[in-house]
Amino acid sequence: MSFSRRNFLIATGVVAASSSVLSACSSGDSTNNTGGGKQDAAKADATVVKIGTAEDSKGPAPEVSGAKKGGTVYLLNDDDFSHLDPQRIYYAWNSLAAMVLSRTLTGYKIADDGSQTLVGDLATDTGTMKDGGKTWSFTLKDGIKWEDGSDVTVDDVRHGIERCFANFITEGAFYVQTWLTGSAEYRKSYPGPYGGKHLKSIETSGKTITFRLSEARPDFNYVMAMHSYAPTPVKKDTKQDYDKKPVSNGPYRVKTHVTDKSMTLVRNEHWDPATDPIRNAYPDQFDFTFGIEQLTAIDRLLADAGKDQYATSWRTIPQERIQKAQSEAKDRVFAQLGNGVSCYWINTGRVKDKSVREAIIKAWPTAAIRQLQGGSVRGDYATGIMSPLVAGYESQDVWGKLKNPAGDPKAAKEILKKAGKSGYKVVYAYQNDPTQAKIKVVVENALKAAGFEVVTKGIDSTTWYDQVGKLDNQFDVYWGGWSSDWPTGYSVFQPLFDSKNVVDQGQNYSHLKDPAVDAAIKAATAETDQDKANKMWAALDKQVTETAAFVPDVYMKRIYMHGSKLGNVKMDPNFDGSMLYKMYVKS
Amino acid sequence: MTSTDQQPFLSIKDLKVHFSTEDGTVKAVDGLSFDLVRGKTLGIVGESGSGKSVTNLTILGLHNPDSTTVEGSITLDGEELNGASERKLEKLRGNKMSMIFQDALTSLSPYHTIGKQIGETYRKHTGCSKKAARDRAIEMLKRVGIPQPEVRVDDYPHQFSGGMRQRAMIAMALVCDPELLIADEPTTALDVTVQAQIMDLLKDLQKEFGTAIIFITHDLGVIADIADDVLVMYGGRCVERGTKKEVLRDPQHPYTWGLLSSMPSLDHPVDVPLNPIPGSPPSLLNPPSGCRFHPRCTFAEKVEGGLCSSERPLLELVDGRGSACHLTAEQRGEYFSDLAGSAAN
Amino acid sequence: MLRFLVRRLLGAVITLLIISAVTFMLFYAVPRDPARIACGKLCTPETLELIRHNMGISDPMPVQFWHWLSGIFLGREYPGFGNCDAPCLGYSFVNREPVLATILDRFPTTFSLFLGSAVVFLIFGIGTGMLAALKQGKPLDKIASSASLVASSMQIYFVGTLALYLLVYQWQVLDQPGYTPFTENPGQWFGGLLLPWLILALIFTANYTRMTRSQMVEQLQEDYVRTARAKGLSRPNVFFRFAWRGAMGPIVTIFGVDVGVLLGGGMITEKTFSIQGIGMLSLKSVVNNDLPMLLGVMVITATFVVLANIVVDACYALIDPRIRLA
Repeated sequence: MSFSRRNFLIATGVVAASSSVLSACSSGDSTNNTGGGKQDAAKADATVVKIGTAEDSKGPAPEVSGAKKGGTVYLLNDDDFSHLDPQRIYYAWNSLAAMVLSRTLTGYKIADDGSQTLVGDLATDTGTMKDGGKTWSFTLKDGIKWEDGSDVTVDDVRHGIERCFANFITEGAFYVQTWLTGSAEYRKSYPGPYGGKHLKSIETSGKTITFRLSEARPDFNYVMAMHSYAPTPVKKDTKQDYDKKPVSNGPYRVKTHVTDKSMTLVRNEHWDPATDPIRNAYPDQFDFTFGIEQLTAIDRLLADAGKDQYATSWRTIPQERIQKAQSEAKDRVFAQLGNGVSCYWINTGRVKDKSVREAIIKAWPTAAIRQLQGGSVRGDYATGIMSPLVAGYESQDVWGKLKNPAGDPKAAKEILKKAGKSGYKVVYAYQNDPTQAKIKVVVENALKAAGFEVVTKGIDSTTWYDQVGKLDNQFDVYWGGWSSDWPTGYSVFQPLFDSKNVVDQGQNYSHLKDPAVDAAIKAATAETDQDKANKMWAALDKQVTETAAFVPDVYMKRIYMHGSKLGNVKMDPNFDGSMLYKMYVKS
Repeated sequence: MTSTDQQPFLSIKDLKVHFSTEDGTVKAVDGLSFDLVRGKTLGIVGESGSGKSVTNLTILGLHNPDSTTVEGSITLDGEELNGASERKLEKLRGNKMSMIFQDALTSLSPYHTIGKQIGETYRKHTGCSKKAARDRAIEMLKRVGIPQPEVRVDDYPHQFSGGMRQRAMIAMALVCDPELLIADEPTTALDVTVQAQIMDLLKDLQKEFGTAIIFITHDLGVIADIADDVLVMYGGRCVERGTKKEVLRDPQHPYTWGLLSSMPSLDHPVDVPLNPIPGSPPSLLNPPSGCRFHPRCTFAEKVEGGLCSSERPLLELVDGRGSACHLTAEQRGEYFSDLAGSAAN
Repeated sequence: MLRFLVRRLLGAVITLLIISAVTFMLFYAVPRDPARIACGKLCTPETLELIRHNMGISDPMPVQFWHWLSGIFLGREYPGFGNCDAPCLGYSFVNREPVLATILDRFPTTFSLFLGSAVVFLIFGIGTGMLAALKQGKPLDKIASSASLVASSMQIYFVGTLALYLLVYQWQVLDQPGYTPFTENPGQWFGGLLLPWLILALIFTANYTRMTRSQMVEQLQEDYVRTARAKGLSRPNVFFRFAWRGAMGPIVTIFGVDVGVLLGGGMITEKTFSIQGIGMLSLKSVVNNDLPMLLGVMVITATFVVLANIVVDACYALIDPRIRLA
């Protein structure tokens, strides 16, 4: 599952409006922001992904009670999907559409209560691991077809993965490419399938495909759920043009698509529900309209007139409409925990003294910041960096943030004094948008109250991540967020805390180089017993929190709404949007 | 008037033209009467704002009906024009009565050809074909002395010289052989040679068609050239009337004296250096009481009892000759000869 | 006239060249790397260099500009992205489409928006202005003048949003604004654009009302208008053929500017009503850092402005014979 789109967009400035995404999930709900103890996170264990059996992997998906087939669903969105070619898909947003177009070897079966099971989607089960995680085999189900009626073969699966090496595929994930070639510069080892050569590390036989990895990947079956590794039909591969109109093996196919304007998905008659344990696919058609403002979309949904009764949006309800939506259309509003975690990085390369970092964390006005971003709708207070949706999550509270989310400048001052660092100069960088500018003031005051000297640096939202991503950035504290690519700890801790990632534009934003953390990441990665591995990751969450490399902020929530004639509109916790394949049109 | 036996072609009786403005009522013309017979020329003189142009626009009915009240009577060939319908006036304008404006450059439409502008007047009043109108335009241009009229007819006003424009303007005014022609300072902007040519043209045309002409000017030299009768206006009223000879040689009103002495002239009886009238024209919003000229009149104190500032002098006409002044006939004779004498020295 | 056209068109081409060169230079100066944006979160230097090469942005700026320029006539290929046939105005790496294709797709929308609102604001604006000029100083004039003052001080995003809320969401008397091609369904085309037309026209109408009124009032006081009346021409005749003729010049000028601007896309209107036209496209290009698209839109918009200018000047000469085309 891919990195949530919003984080990346903020990161690179792809969407300037995305800076409002943060504020978008805020609301004026001020009454419910202090009860730190009662957290959704506590009951999140139910939502943590389990690994399913072959039985779980059999279709059809359990019926949604009251649902019926037929009708058209209208989607009011501001942006088009940036990619439909599965190999180019990396952001959650695109995966929302890919979920009904591009089935993968494995996938997440989501029950009515929100609990998730990793099951075989195209494969009969979640794969067979050998050699301590270095060899993985998957066998395709019978009756799986492309939209033209031809079979989905292991060659197509291999082709999809081999396409990732082609020079026009630059957007997708590259974990698997690296593991298959043993090199980060994987294109040098293998130029892609168009020269007629295949990867030696993939073997096919009948309906079975076997991957030989250069390192142990006990969670490889999770990775195979990423759309980057979905199959592409060898005979229908149109290379770079495939992005506009991919060939579907899911319940729907692309009928028309005008970039950034509109798209229509209709039923794929060759999709057999009996093979699909995940998707219900009730509506006959999905009509997407792009270019509709977030606020306009919500106003239309609130008005609930005509076709808009059958509409939904993948944009969160803007702050200024949350109250109205909650009072006027309570039954059409749904809020859920996403897999994004927000935090404030402390640059350990600059702030080397751990006591100083501790003082910052102690002083941090988390409650006031959340208040500025809308209060509890923004999310529950986080205590670490691992989302409650990641396998193995365990609640902890290293810094006592749940007890005192407001921060404790007095205690911080004490720590600072003890360390002999009173008056320490902290450089706080923030994105120059209205909400962040307000947060800056709160932060500045809190740190000053704790005896820090504070320098603030406003940075243009569009260059934000380029600036803070620099290895020699001149900042001490800056905001950051993370969504894991798949729900195991590896996808959280390896990119964020492995000392190898302390590079220019690397993901280790805190620049933490801790041999103990490195060793723990390595150990947990290599652990083949998933239960044990999960426990190790949970311990790592506590361990990295204790390094004081970041100030935990919130586990981010999403709030959406839909038209009155749609039923079972639920959020996909992996991709932070409603599930097309589970909703139905009411009569 | 000299031709009292003739039925007047145009008769103005006690004409009052008042404009209502935001500041109050402007009495642009305040009790004006005169007659004009066919074939004759009446020269109207006076400073700017004396009401001479307003009078003539009112005759044509070109005043703004919303903000103007017109009292008194205007009869043209026995027909009352004051209060006449727009339709009736439209039929008369450019046809039975027409007007030549002061500045031909601005008074001709820059957007239409000369031929079109002349021809459309003709078409409007005769209902002839476009071809006939064009032919008529060429004929008229020829008559006013435009060379190569069949070529120039398609020219635009900006392609004409100043004199030619004025001729075209005249051609336009005459295209329907008007019986009354009002010429509002038609030569002011022109040089002397062209001026003389145009005056000759007007005289010729008058001879040919027996047109009655009202000639508005502040140039007494022009009056001397063209007018039969002269009417001197000041502050919206007539202060003196008479034949050209009477007014120019034996002026009765101190204002006329002033006009004469402020005028460079070759054949003038009073050969005086330029001597402008002191003061400025009266406000028509709040006109001076009594005689409107009295604040500027050097002889006002000669009249006993301050009559000049309290009572309006009446225009008493004998055979169309007279002036509106409180001075006695003797006083006038005495002061005017003094004036003429001193000026001659 | 021919000389005028040749000369002006030549001038237009040079103007557009300068505009595109300057824009190109400005974009080059922007510290934004489209390759970095396309590269994603887990970007390696190797991938980044590959994308740079694919985008054709690793060359020095003058070379890039030359490639862009020659692409207009020869077309271009962007390895890893796709072909861009001549006339190629560049390739959008965000949309993964030739820039021109997208602009052409959005243009009918903007053109429809312009056409309808122009009809509305010309008829109402000029009509009201004429009426006000005719009834100068009377209650009608005063009402029209103050109404246009109010209207012109309105903001589209305010009135538009309000109208949208009341007329579409609340009372549901108008269709949800949107664009349907005329050729597909004229009724829907009209219904979907009616509100945007009216709102966009509202602001413009006021402008034209005031312009027409003041021009007509001024023209009606012109000597030649008086002359026309003195010739016995009827009031309507004088009003339309003389005074209006004179008043037209400045109005045509303003309209020319407005045409250029409107064909460049009514950004606020399109955004307010979520209509996918050129305005929305350029707005999105800014937001998405889609510089090739932005450049394309700017060049096309500039072309409209320049062409509108030529047409205005030609019209001016038709209206006023004193102006000579050379």
